[in-house]
Amino acid sequence: MKMLDQPLVVSGELAWLGGDRLERRVDHPNREVSTIADGEVVQQREGREPRRFSLKRAPQLQILLDSFVALLGGDATRLEQSFTVHQRGDDKRWTLALVPRDAKLARTVGLIEIDGSGSEPRCMRMQEADGDLAIDLLGPLAGSMPAKPTREALMTLCQGG
Amino acid sequence: MRIGRWLLLVLWLALLAVLGIVVAQRLRVSTDLRSFMPEPATPDQRLLMEQVGEGPGSRLLLVAIAGKDDAQLAELSQQLATSLRRDERYTQVLNGSFDVATLDPQLLPYRYLLSPTLDTHALDATFLRDELQQRLDDLSSPAASLLKGLLPRDPTLEVLKLAERWTPPKSPEVREGVWFSPQDEALLLVQTRAPGFDPDAQATAIDGIQRAFAALPAHQGASLVLSGPGYFSVVANAQTRGQAEWIGRISTIGFIALLLLAYRSVGSLLLSALPIASAALAGIAVLVLVFPQVHGITLAFGFTLLGVAQEYPIRVLSHRRAGENAVQSVRALWPLLLTAIASACIAYLAFYASGVNGLKQLAVFTITGLLVAGFSTRYLLPWLLPERVHDVARMRWLQKARALVDALPRPRWIPLLVAIATLLMLVFARSPFWQNDLAALTPLPTDLLQRDARLREALGAPDVRYLLVLQAADEQGVLALSERLEPAIDALVARHAVDAVELPSRYLPSEAVQRSRQQKLPDRDTLQRALADAGQGMPFQPGLFAPFVDDVQKARELPLLNSARFSTSPLGQRVSAMLAPHGDHWLGLATLSGVHDVDALQQLAQESHAAVRLLDLKATAESMVVDYRTRILHALLAATLLLVVAITAALRSVRRAWHVLAPMTLATFLVLAVERAAGVEISLFHLVALILAAGLGLHYALFFERDTGDIDEQRRTLHATVVCVLSALLVFGMLAWSSIPVLRAIGLTVSLGVAFHFCLSILMAPHARQD
Repeated sequence: MKMLDQPLVVSGELAWLGGDRLERRVDHPNREVSTIADGEVVQQREGREPRRFSLKRAPQLQILLDSFVALLGGDATRLEQSFTVHQRGDDKRWTLALVPRDAKLARTVGLIEIDGSGSEPRCMRMQEADGDLAIDLLGPLAGSMPAKPTREALMTLCQGG
Repeated sequence: MRIGRWLLLVLWLALLAVLGIVVAQRLRVSTDLRSFMPEPATPDQRLLMEQVGEGPGSRLLLVAIAGKDDAQLAELSQQLATSLRRDERYTQVLNGSFDVATLDPQLLPYRYLLSPTLDTHALDATFLRDELQQRLDDLSSPAASLLKGLLPRDPTLEVLKLAERWTPPKSPEVREGVWFSPQDEALLLVQTRAPGFDPDAQATAIDGIQRAFAALPAHQGASLVLSGPGYFSVVANAQTRGQAEWIGRISTIGFIALLLLAYRSVGSLLLSALPIASAALAGIAVLVLVFPQVHGITLAFGFTLLGVAQEYPIRVLSHRRAGENAVQSVRALWPLLLTAIASACIAYLAFYASGVNGLKQLAVFTITGLLVAGFSTRYLLPWLLPERVHDVARMRWLQKARALVDALPRPRWIPLLVAIATLLMLVFARSPFWQNDLAALTPLPTDLLQRDARLREALGAPDVRYLLVLQAADEQGVLALSERLEPAIDALVARHAVDAVELPSRYLPSEAVQRSRQQKLPDRDTLQRALADAGQGMPFQPGLFAPFVDDVQKARELPLLNSARFSTSPLGQRVSAMLAPHGDHWLGLATLSGVHDVDALQQLAQESHAAVRLLDLKATAESMVVDYRTRILHALLAATLLLVVAITAALRSVRRAWHVLAPMTLATFLVLAVERAAGVEISLFHLVALILAAGLGLHYALFFERDTGDIDEQRRTLHATVVCVLSALLVFGMLAWSSIPVLRAIGLTVSLGVAFHFCLSILMAPHARQD
């Protein structure tokens, strides 16, 4: 991230609660639980008042929700509705490239790439338009975040290196 | 002789043309309803008069755009807002898009003086460390891109705290960056510069919005819906005007047909229009000379009241004798006609005594008109009328009608019976006597009202009925008072006594508060050290927060913000509308949304020892209507006494005066009684209409009372009166069918009045001598 001189690393759990509900729990470095449910985002940080806002105020979160729900639910039609989807690789190692269809959103989030092997996603990379990159290591990779990650090291990790 | 007639006609027409030109050039019509209100007597009434036009609530228009998908509607909303913000006619345009630009970049460093953060925290290492840690958490969340742009200049997010503080407390849902209603309409709030109850100025403002919308490239397929007090005044005005014109056209045709039937002469008909035309033009010309602006209502009412003057030429036409020229006929008629004119003028003088500017204008207009109509009927019209005419006294039906009228039994107990019935009806009528709610006279379609309630609810727009008024010696006093009130108000909101209260200090803290915040701002070195301490072990790039440090330094040296300095930004204009000097003190106006418990608010006001008042605009307006009516009633009483004296003097007999005044008075009260029995609540418009009917009734009674001993003359009197009654019934009877209460009030009252006056003046007239 350009503003920071080193990458930000957080760990926790991302859970799909069914339907359009998603929970993001962060355990480290600070505990935080964010839930998206019924079009509302609730952010709870330890020792602070919860913050609530409408999902419509945060279109980036809507994208995330769309991609996750579609991906985890295996709903290819829904994925196609929000993104143009390109797939490369084979069954063993694949990468899905999602480009938001909405031009305005594409200006903030340019591209989401999901790497996986077999039926399991391993990595989710969100390329923001200003050059910042957010990488989520999922499932089996979640424990293998290096202590001092670099963009390159993570990319190799995602692609199964 | 013939040449003389033509010359006179040409001169008369030329005079009218000159008057017409003067009027057309100098007439300035005002539509501000306030000039039809009496001088305010109490502080609340004074405030109401200002608020009615200038108050922030009354100048607010609610706008909704519907009919397309969210993204397209949001785009339209943004484009419309941009175009209206450039327009002089609107002081504020809100559509929910929070834009740091609404706070002037020049004013951005003021955020440290405006936001309450420094009241509880100092910009020290501990606080900054906590904030920076939160920003890191924000950056690691998927919502990071929302905040990234703000971070270097504003790591404590003061701008967002202010935005949260300033968004209407119950703000609508934001989609695609703009407000939306639950019914998928994009919503905007537009404040006009024009006062809310000036229908013409509001019509221009509304037209401006509609034009701006129609000029947007992608507007097709989307619909624009407006609401708000200004819009309502325009709708009510257009509705009333539309119906009045439509009815007016029909009754004019009927009136012309009636006169043609009665006199069978196009020439006479055209000529008899001359005194009325002269009356109207002369009336307006005098108004133009005496008053800087003429009120639209004065003209509308004035033309109605001038209806009395139509009687003068009708009397002359009906009283023509075979073989006698018009000048001679008029001479015989003149003493009575003069009495009629004088008494009508006395009745209308009551309006002048009311002291209300609009009614004074009405009096000047009608009295001038009546005099001009009367004297031109006497001294000009007869020279133009044809020499030979058909004497109406020779008409068969008239002879029979007169015989019938003369044969009517006229027992002395009839007036007594009518008086008792009138009294009973007045005593036993159930509904409230007076109608004080002016809005009830121009009601709006329910779907408009429902739409307004829906949009107001969705937008959290302020209630138009209540205002909290804060009073102090100066601007700073008002702001300090407003700050002291905040905890009590928050408690009321928490108790759901009211949904939201917009206090001026929410936008602009007092200078004392700003100064104490300013004094807490650290100097450059201290802040930089604190920032370095706070950021230890955090991955922020060195120097990232330089813009923040610069802004804090700027804020340390800023002159404190007051409403004058603030008013350069759109938000500041909102503050200016909430703060105003008022005589030797200042007032703060807090708008209320969703008032659920008026008593709780009243109690808050009482505990403040007169520093805070809850202004109920509706109740205050009604109290003014009551004052207004009292003045008119007093003036009427005086006019009645004057009338009794004048008639008695003119007829030189108390007994004869009694024969004229008794039927008129009785008929007037009978109209009142019948309307009361029918459940009609009496408004100002009923009163004006009663006066008009009484003026007409006085004429009938005067002419019926006259005993010339000449059977033909009696027949002519009946003819003239029947023509007058029919024409009045035609014009006002049509109005009585109107669906708009104010027109119906006038129409019904005058029609009933004319009918009752006619019957009673026949029944109570002395017996004609049998020849």
